[in-house]
Amino acid sequence: MRQSQSAVMERGVELVDVHETEPFEVAWAGEARWYVQFLQPADDTQVEFRVQISADGINWLDHEGIAPISSTAAGWRSIPVERFGHWLRLRTTRTSGVGAPTLRIYLELKE
Amino acid sequence: MTTTEVADVAAALRHAIRSSDPRLSKFNPLARILTFDDFNDGAHGWVELGGNYNGRGDLDSMDEHFRDFRPPQLSNQNFFDVGTHGGMGGTYSLKLATRQAPGHTATAIRRLTMAGRGLLQIEAHLAWKVEANLGGGEEANTYGDITWDANSHPSEAQFGAFTVATDLCHEGVRYHNVMRFQNSDEQGRIVQKWMYPVVAEPTPHERFEGKHDHGRYADFTAPDPDDWRYLDDRRQEACYNEVPTKVNWHYLRFTIDTSTRSNVELQFNNDVYDLRDVPVPPYAEKYESLESLLNFYFSVRTLAPHRNFLFLDSVVISADW
Repeated sequence: MRQSQSAVMERGVELVDVHETEPFEVAWAGEARWYVQFLQPADDTQVEFRVQISADGINWLDHEGIAPISSTAAGWRSIPVERFGHWLRLRTTRTSGVGAPTLRIYLELKE
Repeated sequence: MTTTEVADVAAALRHAIRSSDPRLSKFNPLARILTFDDFNDGAHGWVELGGNYNGRGDLDSMDEHFRDFRPPQLSNQNFFDVGTHGGMGGTYSLKLATRQAPGHTATAIRRLTMAGRGLLQIEAHLAWKVEANLGGGEEANTYGDITWDANSHPSEAQFGAFTVATDLCHEGVRYHNVMRFQNSDEQGRIVQKWMYPVVAEPTPHERFEGKHDHGRYADFTAPDPDDWRYLDDRRQEACYNEVPTKVNWHYLRFTIDTSTRSNVELQFNNDVYDLRDVPVPPYAEKYESLESLLNFYFSVRTLAPHRNFLFLDSVVISADW
């Protein structure tokens, strides 16, 4: 059996401008997937997701294999991630609109 | 052989077998091991403590201070200066991590039920650290009581507290056995003493009845600081080890007695505290749906704007029934 873990990183955080998930250690995992649910949508608002990686859990850079993902602030989005090293976080930026959607964010990990 | 002699031989055999097992010989469990978790193959049922939500799954129905206890992480202890530190037994340990917010608490819980009454014990090899800081000016060399002198490091004063506790219920009577290592206070003054609360933890049911409504960063175990007592006025010396990226594992053993709903003993490395006079306040109200509840939790609470970490290399829960 492959080890697995699902972590609920946020359960209703309001996106005002930029949101970064807490640093999460993923050295044991071989694959990952982010799920983002807009609990409170903001239909006139666009957001951008960036998957970020880190050598130390303190300094962060964009994952070179995943281009920034633009999305309306409604419904669900999913982002698969591979070759991520030992740390992961998700950075969400409001790129247009004035709405303040709320987000539930899951990180799913598997050996 | 007499009954006593048979029991002595059985105990000696258990001890001999355990001593030959490098994973278990560092523990001193009661006769029946209920769980053994070394976190090299998963989190073993240690999960974020969640709040109680309504029939619609509405998160706003949860107590505000129960909404964000953070998911535990399987950590290889990856640090900026030395790379992977690793655990005491193997590469991985379980890490509880707070946010960078004073008062924030991370909590992981293990959920069982009791198949008997009597002595119940949790043991762990654990360590506590603060997230390393990179950068800043001269102010980064001082926090609270500590100014960096190449021996003491300000991060030690940025660690608030860790707690080991139960959530138990039988015959409708619910209670918590609680022991907390209070490392520093809100001003970063070193405390380093064991503490316990003299009140029961505020429950979601009590909030539902309008008895309390605590904020996001309340101390969920006992929110009023006046409800805590020192176990001993002596400082509990420990091995933080100078900087936030050197990890030395400490042994913890907490024994209780469910037949009397009482505390028994706390061991921290070579210090042993008699807890038989330490109260275990039960809830006055009977609780439904919790018969034979047997939960243990570990929590870590920061009082500073710095992430606090509690690492569990391994945990054993045992009983004498």
